[in-house]
Amino acid sequence: MAPPPHELEDEETPLQKLMRHWMNERHAPDILPAQEELLASLLDHIRRQSEAVQLLRGEPSTSEEDHIRIMLVQTEVERVKFIVRSYVRTRLFKIEKFARFIMTNPEIQARITTAERAHASRHANLTDKHFHFSVLQSLPETQSHLDDTPIFMPPMVTQPDESVPVFVHALRECGPINFPDGSSLNMTPGYISLMPFASAKALLNRGDVELV
Amino acid sequence: MAETRQFGDLATQLIMESRRSTQTDTLLKYNDSLVRSLIREQRDLEKAAESFDIPDLENPPPALLIIQTAISRNKRCLLAYHSHRVDRLRDMYWAVGGALPHLLSNQDIRSKLSPYEVDYLRQYNSSVMEFRSEFSHELDITASIVNPPKDLHVLVHVVRDCGVIQTELGSIDFQKGQRFMVRRADIEHLIVQGYLEEVS
Repeated sequence: MAPPPHELEDEETPLQKLMRHWMNERHAPDILPAQEELLASLLDHIRRQSEAVQLLRGEPSTSEEDHIRIMLVQTEVERVKFIVRSYVRTRLFKIEKFARFIMTNPEIQARITTAERAHASRHANLTDKHFHFSVLQSLPETQSHLDDTPIFMPPMVTQPDESVPVFVHALRECGPINFPDGSSLNMTPGYISLMPFASAKALLNRGDVELV
Repeated sequence: MAETRQFGDLATQLIMESRRSTQTDTLLKYNDSLVRSLIREQRDLEKAAESFDIPDLENPPPALLIIQTAISRNKRCLLAYHSHRVDRLRDMYWAVGGALPHLLSNQDIRSKLSPYEVDYLRQYNSSVMEFRSEFSHELDITASIVNPPKDLHVLVHVVRDCGVIQTELGSIDFQKGQRFMVRRADIEHLIVQGYLEEVS
């Protein structure tokens, strides 16, 4: 019997949650919903820990054994920061890649943080400007636009490709998942399957599965 | 020779450069002359397209279709070349931990960039800095994400003088040839930029 959803959530520490979101983000072709609250609470925690460490280190009564404990805490803090950094940078990479698409798509804009949105807007502008100065301004007027849609060519604006396959690891009972070709699949917790990202998206957002 | 050249030859050369750059993992010099010739070809093609007199919009002459296709393709290749380059520049920027002056003061790299690319990097840098300032000073998002930290401290060998740096142990004057045991987080950016070397 699989545990009911809320129990599963409770068992996960904030760090485990972050690691799950980090792996999901790294495997997903699209930008996943931002985890602002989780990130803020973790960063707060790191800050408090670092302050405590600073205090304890200055304390002359701290014993040798405590110093080793402090070192462990510091190492752990560095390692958590590494994950946060990697998570933030993974998102930033995708945001830059899809900057122009994001600016025309309110649905993605709702999924990302204000700072990420601002960066996407700056980046889309910057790329446009660079193309304009390097190439487009020298071309004849009829050719100097960035959004033409000639036939037989892929669109010029890079979009997330939802058809790429991802490995999905079921955390809870899920299914039946219906695929575009009409077949369907039931997954029990622990089950791993390869499927297009589009099929896994809804399950992922509910937290029923993780990407591996 | 110019007479026998086919439409799209120049664009193919440009794309081959991008490809070579990826395959050899190096930044090639910005090919200004090739880009200019392509832009000239675009203008000529545009003139050729304009010279057509189209009596029937439903059935354009096949020659015009070919010219239009060549125009679209050339333009796409031009943009792809520039886009490939800026992607590469952004990778280089992150590889040195966002130390832009370090990148731009390197004469070898600098000579391979077009003036617009230098501008691009500067503006990209300020955009990233603005994004970084959203996080507390505790978390520097430009630090390395290649290897997870294993140890808190690291033994480093100074390869180039880098002056006085504030560390956990107070200020240290790093001079060439010396060795120090320091906190990794304090000096990681100096390893990335090649001032210090990790002694293993």
